[in-house]
Amino acid sequence: MPLTLEIVTPEARVYSDTIDTVVIPTVEGEIGILPGHIPLLTQVAAGELRVTKDGKTAHLAVGGGFADVKGDRVSVLAESAIAEEKIDVNAVEEARARAEKTLKEKFDLEPAEVERLEGVVRFAVAQLTVKARRR
Amino acid sequence: MASTRDIRRRIKSVKNTRQITKAMELVAASKMKKAQQAALAGRPYSQLMSRMLAALASRVEESQHPFLVTREVRTRGVLVISTDKGLCGPLNSNLFKLITDVKTPAKFVATGRKGAQFLARTKRDLVAEFPISDRVAFAEVRVAVEFMVKLYLEGTIDTFEVIYSRFRNTLVQEAMIRPILPLGNLRSFIESARGSAKAEGDSFADTRDILFEPDAQTVLEALLPFYVNRHVYQLALSAKASEQSARMVAMKTAKDNATKLLGDLTLEYNKARQAAITQEILEIAAASFAA
Repeated sequence: MPLTLEIVTPEARVYSDTIDTVVIPTVEGEIGILPGHIPLLTQVAAGELRVTKDGKTAHLAVGGGFADVKGDRVSVLAESAIAEEKIDVNAVEEARARAEKTLKEKFDLEPAEVERLEGVVRFAVAQLTVKARRR
Repeated sequence: MASTRDIRRRIKSVKNTRQITKAMELVAASKMKKAQQAALAGRPYSQLMSRMLAALASRVEESQHPFLVTREVRTRGVLVISTDKGLCGPLNSNLFKLITDVKTPAKFVATGRKGAQFLARTKRDLVAEFPISDRVAFAEVRVAVEFMVKLYLEGTIDTFEVIYSRFRNTLVQEAMIRPILPLGNLRSFIESARGSAKAEGDSFADTRDILFEPDAQTVLEALLPFYVNRHVYQLALSAKASEQSARMVAMKTAKDNATKLLGDLTLEYNKARQAAITQEILEIAAASFAA
């Protein structure tokens, strides 16, 4: 039985399909998941998520979040996620520069805002690494 | 019969009213579209998260995390998500009905001016008020949630509930009370919700033990506060979509009523005018016969 993978962000359901295997970046390193995996709940780190379906591999960049494996159903809750071919390097660079600038220049930011900006930077870095590896 | 001039004056004023309500309808309609989109887009995310949590809560009942432990309820904590402005039909009064139903001692926190005004007027224990703008930024909701969570952890309140208007569609919004903390209540709540919706999760039943990475404690510490924040944020989005929809519908009704009234008034005006003309002709004719 194939795996069902679902990647959901607050904005949209980014990915939903039956797949063969998936490699998820977690805080402890990458985890490969095959059908029949035992139930797992883990924290996802910003990075590259690889999905293999019918011998073809798709690459996605994900922001931090959580992943849940339960009975051949893999659910990834991510702050943000984007498919490799949709990544716009220039836009990402800009977003990253903006976020880093704000982090550096403003000292009176709220902790929540700092956290959000750091998330933006981490996701930007993840996107760039994913893109760089494809070239 | 009213004089033609009186009627004309009324027609003018009704026309003005119609113009205003029409403009407000259009404004609400465009805001509604955005708010509805935001609310609907976030739904899969929060559903998935609820499902994760439900699975989690059933496995880790022995955990001593304060969010999971059910205490004896002495004081309830209620966050009321209301609107800043009126003119949105029965939306707020439905919320207030729910508030009056809260009989046990409770502390209230409000977002939206209308809710705060009601709580203050009815002399309930309003602890704080937070503003939420039309675009519902995550940061705005987060402040309110963190305040509630702080009270909860301090023991000032023993539950954390949210009263809000749930968005079903443009015409239907229902006032609801939703338990957030402790999460022990969550499971039964989700199951009851699932009973009506018959979610697909059942076919994926898996009774093996869950593996946590790095470990259960770390995952729980990260996931639980995150869940509470995100969940309430989704409720706020839903409430905003309800508000804009209700306002649009209310304004549309007002506009339709004005149009109808205008039709009636125009008819009356024409009748009065006709009567006056006939009267005049009669008078002239009578005068010429008499001559």
